[in-house]
Amino acid sequence: MNKLAAKYLRPSQIPTKACHGCGIGMIENWILQAIDELGLKQEDVVFGTGIGCVGRQTFATWGGDNFGATHGRALAVATGLKLAQPDKKYLIVVGDGDAAAIGTSHLIHAARRNLGVVVICEDNMGYESTGGQFSPTTPAGYVTNSSPYGMVEPSFDPCDVVKAAGATFVAETTATQWHQTVKIVKRALQNDGFSFVHVRFPCNENFGAYALGTRDTLKNLEWIYEHTQGRKADGGATDFVWETGIKHDASNSRPEFTKLLRDMNARVRAERTAAGAR
Amino acid sequence: MATITRARVAEGLVAPWVEWERRCPKGRRLLEAGTYALTEGAIAAGCRVFAGYPITPATDIAEYMSKRLPQVGGYYMQCEDELAGMHACAGASLGGLKAMTATSGPGYTLMHDAYGWALTNEIPLVVVDAMRVGPISGITGAPGQGEFYVARYCTHGGNFETIVLSPSSVQEAFWLTIDAFNLSERFRTPVTILTDQVVSDMWEDLFLPDADEHLDFVVPRKHNLMMPFYPLGGADLDVPPNIIGRGTGVCVSAYTHTEEGYDIEEMEAQWAQTYRLVNKIRHHRDQLSRYETIGLEDADVVAVAYGADARTVKTAVLEARRQGLRAGFVRPITLWPFLDELYERDCHYVVCELNYDGQLVREVMRAAPDRAKVHFMGKSAELHTVAEVVAGLQGVARAGRIPELPYIWTEVR
Repeated sequence: MNKLAAKYLRPSQIPTKACHGCGIGMIENWILQAIDELGLKQEDVVFGTGIGCVGRQTFATWGGDNFGATHGRALAVATGLKLAQPDKKYLIVVGDGDAAAIGTSHLIHAARRNLGVVVICEDNMGYESTGGQFSPTTPAGYVTNSSPYGMVEPSFDPCDVVKAAGATFVAETTATQWHQTVKIVKRALQNDGFSFVHVRFPCNENFGAYALGTRDTLKNLEWIYEHTQGRKADGGATDFVWETGIKHDASNSRPEFTKLLRDMNARVRAERTAAGAR
Repeated sequence: MATITRARVAEGLVAPWVEWERRCPKGRRLLEAGTYALTEGAIAAGCRVFAGYPITPATDIAEYMSKRLPQVGGYYMQCEDELAGMHACAGASLGGLKAMTATSGPGYTLMHDAYGWALTNEIPLVVVDAMRVGPISGITGAPGQGEFYVARYCTHGGNFETIVLSPSSVQEAFWLTIDAFNLSERFRTPVTILTDQVVSDMWEDLFLPDADEHLDFVVPRKHNLMMPFYPLGGADLDVPPNIIGRGTGVCVSAYTHTEEGYDIEEMEAQWAQTYRLVNKIRHHRDQLSRYETIGLEDADVVAVAYGADARTVKTAVLEARRQGLRAGFVRPITLWPFLDELYERDCHYVVCELNYDGQLVREVMRAAPDRAKVHFMGKSAELHTVAEVVAGLQGVARAGRIPELPYIWTEVR
């Protein structure tokens, strides 16, 4: 076990049940690096997740307090938790299903409220734990197990959605960009407000096999990397480009949601005391 | 405001607040709505978070909460939907604060997701469903009793028991809400208050104990700070709820879990978890009896009703007795677990409820000694009149059947 895992994770719960070559463990390791570089301890961070590949593989790996919500509702649970325990950092590690499909309304409203959590959307571009159906982040036209003739829907970029909704920190990265990802997660954790980090990673068993025609981890990573550069290994242009990096940084520019509620309560109680109410 | 002394308890009422009323001599007497009583009951019980989505006829609870909670250091949150509302309540409760949400049928339907999560993880919280007539939006301002079974089977998957209480007056809504919070803490489970549009919207005499009076019958929140987080295979009450944010390392999830809360796919773990979820309630049914009865000693025919509908039905029973009929009355306050023992008498039963499909009546048929003597008087969207119920009781006493009455359904098949 590496030093970071020994320091922060539960030995009994790792390695996870993730498939061979899955990017989830690698990204979690990078998150640990960011946590460690900020000097955070196990008890400073609550780890929340949802359902699907990312939920199942990361739940209970964190050595501190963990919750795994029903599908899509991790942010709804976190909103209540943050009211009750405002001093903790909340890492909400979810997949594209939780964040960009079944739980999108909670994502939008958490961003609007500037809820003090960090959402790490680990995106394997489809519903891979149910066998590889397309999701709202599957690239348009690609073949999956529920789009055998190519996905006819346009996909959307969850970064655009949360930025429009009022998120104070928004960034996009991939499982091919170690140092950038660590730097982004650190910045996200330093925002006392809503931070959204979109991390694409390869699924070899389903997306790789059906959309890209290979279960080779390196080839799948390479495909992602090429799309961050807009250029294939053979020098040709890719079919589309993912712009990665920090997309919006208004960290600590407006009050965190539960602080607004606490401040309002303090004002109401002070006014009542002044008015002599019981 | 003048301090008043009062002792006003219905005879034949079995509920913890019979004793509580005696222990709270000082207070204020108000004219207020059921929604106000539900709100004040929650605050007296220590509720400090309300998260929900406005819906008629539960909206006033949200409005009252938005005013009252900041005054007592609590938080009102208006969510994007009922899914978020109940999940946020579960989150707040996991963080150590008592929480409540309130809704009506269309919103209640959306809460089944969160119910499962709260039930499985043994998270105390209170859900109010102010029932209106349905299905779906129905008539927003008319009472219904359509969620009798839905509240029992409040999530999918089976393997659980639930606690559901129903008040029939504004005053009772206040005490019963404190009781619901107490039970949710002691049983580590969500407790449902199944009320209706009439009790919610109705304005009535309400006695509130003084705010500075210490209510020693309120069960305070405790925190489980060590393993086991889930005492599987047992049925103990008063296991302190788990808390997130205190560094205990607790794990809370949607999956079948180990004592640590780790997800597991083994049958032994499933059976041990199920044993606790079912039997912590079944083995303590004696702690859950709340009901009102009249005349069960000599009754030939017993009228059964709950919630607002029990008010006109009770008046009808008293009127029938005045006319010389040996009529009785059962008002279950605890709807679930179902109080089978209230139907042991071998006599006729007339079950009045605000739906045409027949829900409560099916449970009475199951519990009564002779299901052939259980009769249904279903009505939709408005309370039974006293005259209708008297006619029903007389018909059963004299001819063994309910006479034909407009808008009353008697078939249950």
